[in-house]
Amino acid sequence: MTATMQPKSEAAEAPRRGKRTPGTGENTRPRRGPMQFGHWWWALPGIALVFAIHYVATGIGGFFAFTNWTGIGSFKITGWTNFEAIFKDPTKLGALSNTLFLAFGSVLLGNIAGLVIALGLNRVVKTRYILRTLFFMPVVLSPLATAYIWKYIFDFDGPLNAFLTAIGAGDQAKPWLADPQWAIWTVLVVLVWSSTGFAMVIFMAGLAGVPVEVEEAAAIDGANLWQRFRNVTLPAIRPAVAIATTLGIVQGLRVFDPIMALTGGGPAGATETLATLVYKQAFALGNFGGGAALALVLAAIILIFAVLQQRLTRSNPED
Amino acid sequence: MKSERLDMTQHRRYSGLKVGALAVPTVAALILTGCSASTGSSSSSGGSQEFSLSFATSNTIESPFQVLAENYMKSHPNVKITFNPQPNDSYDQTLRTQLQAGNASDVVVTSPGSGTGRSILPLVQAGFLEPLDDAAKQLLPEGSASTFGTDGKVYGQATEITISALVSNETAATAAGGFPADFSSLQQQCKALESSGKSLFALAGSAPPNTGLMAMSLAASRVYAEDPKWNDKRAAKEATFAGSDGWKSALEAVNTLKDAGCFQKGAAGGGFDAITKGLASGTSVSGFIPAPSWKQLQSAAGGSQFAVRPFPAEQGSGNSYVFASANYAFSINAASKNKDAAKAFLDWAAQPEQTKAFAEIDGALPVSGLDKYDFDGGAYKNVGGLMKDGKYGPLPNIQWPNSAVYDALATGVQGIITGQKSPDQVLQAMDAAWDQ
Repeated sequence: MTATMQPKSEAAEAPRRGKRTPGTGENTRPRRGPMQFGHWWWALPGIALVFAIHYVATGIGGFFAFTNWTGIGSFKITGWTNFEAIFKDPTKLGALSNTLFLAFGSVLLGNIAGLVIALGLNRVVKTRYILRTLFFMPVVLSPLATAYIWKYIFDFDGPLNAFLTAIGAGDQAKPWLADPQWAIWTVLVVLVWSSTGFAMVIFMAGLAGVPVEVEEAAAIDGANLWQRFRNVTLPAIRPAVAIATTLGIVQGLRVFDPIMALTGGGPAGATETLATLVYKQAFALGNFGGGAALALVLAAIILIFAVLQQRLTRSNPED
Repeated sequence: MKSERLDMTQHRRYSGLKVGALAVPTVAALILTGCSASTGSSSSSGGSQEFSLSFATSNTIESPFQVLAENYMKSHPNVKITFNPQPNDSYDQTLRTQLQAGNASDVVVTSPGSGTGRSILPLVQAGFLEPLDDAAKQLLPEGSASTFGTDGKVYGQATEITISALVSNETAATAAGGFPADFSSLQQQCKALESSGKSLFALAGSAPPNTGLMAMSLAASRVYAEDPKWNDKRAAKEATFAGSDGWKSALEAVNTLKDAGCFQKGAAGGGFDAITKGLASGTSVSGFIPAPSWKQLQSAAGGSQFAVRPFPAEQGSGNSYVFASANYAFSINAASKNKDAAKAFLDWAAQPEQTKAFAEIDGALPVSGLDKYDFDGGAYKNVGGLMKDGKYGPLPNIQWPNSAVYDALATGVQGIITGQKSPDQVLQAMDAAWDQ
């Protein structure tokens, strides 16, 4: 984050510095000049829209967490009842643990895979531009559409089981997405597949900033491949790691459409996450208050982990 | 200085232009959204012959609601109906959101009771539906007045009688030695079919509506045949799911069916396409789907005959029972500006020839004149006896207080099939959902 902020602040400084040079005097309209363009109130429509869409709407949604509203008609304010129900219900705690498992699992595996691919495609490989596009493709494609393709692959009559049968492992064929043990791992595979490309692009941007000279110097000093990675490359791409993992965690905690398309939270809640539960409670089961309360809990969890993540991965304590 | 002043005026002129450039689309957008909100239920009031109709669609076959409405337009050339079809899986949510926002269609398709998102009673409670007149009252199926309205008023006009039991591929059943008559011979046949790579039932194990419908079909002969008023007892807290031997037996039967190999391979992960493919190709003999599907399957699988059957009861119990109820109704949006045109359409749809035509279009039973219906020889011949003997009742979840009860049953049955849940756990979850 710091890397992207710096140029902006320099740019903001530029007009002020430039303004003093013509010698027009400090007293004549100190904030006007060829580089000073616009008035603050021009942003009002934008500010009003952001305020109305993001803050007022979210605030109203948050208010309903303290009511028994069904989504239609009248409602009563019920205080913390919805939150008590969440923490007393074992299925909701199961959804919480699934959410954390999928978020951290996809971040860990997706980032490792992304880093390995980024390192591999950084310089030497000739077809690296084509390969980069291919690996980035899952990020561009619609998560819903690709989830349906994965659903077909993991279907009982799908290609995966056909392959297993063909190589003589037919006894391993199972309905992957409806198997209580395997369903969540299957979902994890899809999430890792879709998040790897994004991590790869961030790591590539980070790797572009690693000076070749330092790596060469380390090589001349006798550092092996792992030592060069551990002591030269990794410290240099720490900001990229921080960004990739933070965005990955936030994305992983609120992932919704691939799970809805793959399993719908099933079998019997085995892949239910907080996001799918919010949808079911608020819209399918007519418990808008309960769904809003769950959404608030989810938002709080995302906030906590995003802050923790930032603190753990930032490059120096003064940031 | 001069040039600076010139710059400033140009600057101001440009800024004015920019404000204008921003303001015009913003204002236009606001006007357009404002307009669309107010024209949702559309057009002229006062004797208008124009109205809109919302219904759910789940496949590419033309909806019977649309066919009926098109017939109305043909016989009433001055009437224009705007169709608002919605995908079945998002219909409930869309309907509720539109009603809440005040821009739902003038005529909407609802369901009786309070067990689903489109159910009449909660919508009436929220003040969204218009009371209907005598034509709708006369179409009320016997004993179902409490699910179509409150305080003696009726808010939904029943469209057809839907049987919820089994739809079977009769050609495949004959090839398998005939459809089993009771529960024990059913298990025998499951094993025989399994060994030949086929199955007696096609189940969409990953689609909760289907697992729920199967469990209710199993409960038909075990719970509702003996006690048709069981739901009333549950509502009065004189009975519970967990304390009911019939319900326990019904859910244990799910395990029995699974162990006997009655479902197709990979049934736990199957979707509705597994049922369509299995029944149309004859690799599965029957499925737990609403009866009108027989017609669509028969047109899709040329050469095979399809029929509606009750789920075989325990041997010698004589407890065969089916669910037959009006599961869909026409309702009028209380906020509609075209109520007269909408009511005229409902009055027309309530005429005996129209209810008969609608049932024929959909492959269901007519909501009026059922006592004179000729069951023999058609797809309903196997349930004709039960219907004439009165061995039928409404689909149980119509009378359940909220959709969470059915959800607990449907996802619970999925858990029984995958070994995640026991019948007792599922029944307790249903009780908890009922009392919430």
